Amino acid sequence: MIHVEGLHKRFKTKTGDVIAVDDVGFTAENGQITGLLGPNGAGKTTTLRMLYTLMQPDSGHITVDGLDVARDATAVRRSLAVLPDARGVYKRLTARENIRYFGQLHGLDDATINARLQHLASALEMNDFLDRRTEGFSQGQRTKTAIARALIHDPRNVILDEPTNGLDVMTTRGLRRFLQGLRVAGHCVLFSTHIMQEVAALCDHIVVIAKGRVVAQGSAGDLREQSGESNLEDAFVKIIGSEEGLLA
Amino acid sequence: MKHFWTVMLKELRESFRDRRTVMMALVFSPLLTPLLMMGIITLSAKKETEKLEKELVLAIAGQEHAPNLVAWLRGQGVKVKTPPRDIEAAIRNQDEDAILSIDAGYGKAWRANKPAEVEIVHDSSRMYAGTVVKRVENLLDNYGRITGTLRLVVRGVHPNVIAPLRVAHHDVATPEAKQGMALMFLPYILLLGAFLGGAYIAIDATAGERERQSLEPLLANPVSREAIMSGKMGAAAVFALLSVLLTMLAFKLSFMLMPSNTAGITFDLAWSNIAKLFLVTAPVAILGTAIFTVVSANSKTVKEAQSWFGVLMLLPMIPTIVLMVSPVKDKLWMFLVPFLGQNQMLVRVLRGQAVSGTEWAVGLAGAALACVLLWVFASRLYRREQLAISA
Repeated sequence: MIHVEGLHKRFKTKTGDVIAVDDVGFTAENGQITGLLGPNGAGKTTTLRMLYTLMQPDSGHITVDGLDVARDATAVRRSLAVLPDARGVYKRLTARENIRYFGQLHGLDDATINARLQHLASALEMNDFLDRRTEGFSQGQRTKTAIARALIHDPRNVILDEPTNGLDVMTTRGLRRFLQGLRVAGHCVLFSTHIMQEVAALCDHIVVIAKGRVVAQGSAGDLREQSGESNLEDAFVKIIGSEEGLLA
Repeated sequence: MKHFWTVMLKELRESFRDRRTVMMALVFSPLLTPLLMMGIITLSAKKETEKLEKELVLAIAGQEHAPNLVAWLRGQGVKVKTPPRDIEAAIRNQDEDAILSIDAGYGKAWRANKPAEVEIVHDSSRMYAGTVVKRVENLLDNYGRITGTLRLVVRGVHPNVIAPLRVAHHDVATPEAKQGMALMFLPYILLLGAFLGGAYIAIDATAGERERQSLEPLLANPVSREAIMSGKMGAAAVFALLSVLLTMLAFKLSFMLMPSNTAGITFDLAWSNIAKLFLVTAPVAILGTAIFTVVSANSKTVKEAQSWFGVLMLLPMIPTIVLMVSPVKDKLWMFLVPFLGQNQMLVRVLRGQAVSGTEWAVGLAGAALACVLLWVFASRLYRREQLAISA
């Protein structure tokens, strides 16, 4: 379970301060898929980076499974799977070596790594390219490798930054099935996206972010009701206040 | 510690798969310098002996003024020929290395027992002509001495009267030191090789990962950033040390291949010296990786980090250049200064001089201290928030 409260983050730039996140708070429950929906530049990636401890919030409070991110960063990282916006797969290593490297960094022994690897490779349908160097991989193969790498230690909480970015329809459907599988297994899945179909198809709980603030949250039904629109897409546009940066 | 090994092994595996890096760090640079040096030494030695042993062909102007001298020179095996019309032009155009010009008043001065004038026309800025000039000078010297001695004997004076001193040389240089001149630039090559040998890996492992955006997922793992950074530095240091070791082996091999007594010196690099040189250069390798890690942690791309190359390359050279311009006697404090201390120790070992226990301790301590300081600085940079975020 991930709990976020009153998150703020500002960046100093040459032309002045930019407020990237301005009061974000939500809860992502176990056994649920939570979607962070917002246009480009809404502060989704910054929020997630603070969740997986690479950035420190200026103010606010984050707990993962009850652990304070500010105090127990290492313990929090142990209970998180992270797929960053940039997949960052090592080109000169094979997919298997990429995954094994992260397993070793999590302190897993070889037997555990192999068992997990086998399970993930079949769940993500990546046996065809598991022993190829990732140089020249397709976007889908790279994403799958990065997801398997992130999940090698079988953590309770899974954070994915725009997981279906750049994937074709077949791969996207496969990935959705995989995420649904994680929900059934009781994981807490939190992902960001600017694609509405995605949240509509997957999410139990939707957090809508615009300009660094949470503008609405709830189930798809709640959001429709809140905005008074029967169509989910219209509901989003109404909530955010503009169509800019969203993809149907 | 376990994480250190995991990161280091991964970086090494990745680097060894990059053929360009491996070729540059472990093949070209270690092999190229010894080969180049061997070639230069052999070639210059060959040129030198050629000039010394070849028949001396000398153009002499005004031969008619000193027929005895010319006849004596012929007797010494000099092939005398008539000079070109414009003597100076011939020298300037490099048609002749040196031309002997005999003054018209030679005979008159000779008969009057006054110094008779002869002139060697040459261009002192042409290095290769030096041997010929020296040979002509020696011949003329001999002729003058023989004649002078004869003149004294005729007058009943013992020739020793004009030789109040006899100067002899007693050379205490060690056999290794006699290689000195030829091995002068070996410290440079070893210091630079150790310093730069791991630079590419260090840059690639930090600035490169940052550029390829793989640092973000890596740092999201439950591993301390110090362990990750140290592992990366360790891999770069392994490369640098390998490069140094290969350089020395290549030197050893090229010395073995070189005909013995080239240029009057037998070149050799003893195994015990290789071990000592390695011990001296090892801290430089770690220092180099630490410096390039600091630079990389401050750069967003490989290109940005590489732009430091030109400036940083001078770092190991500055102390040696300063010493070359104003040589001073070895003092203990010098061993504490990174690069300077290593240079002094390398020179000592190469000259076959002893390095005392204190000097070893001070030298290693100085380098170790610099390494620790740089490591602390680099890990502070590594802890910055911006490091993981590339875009």
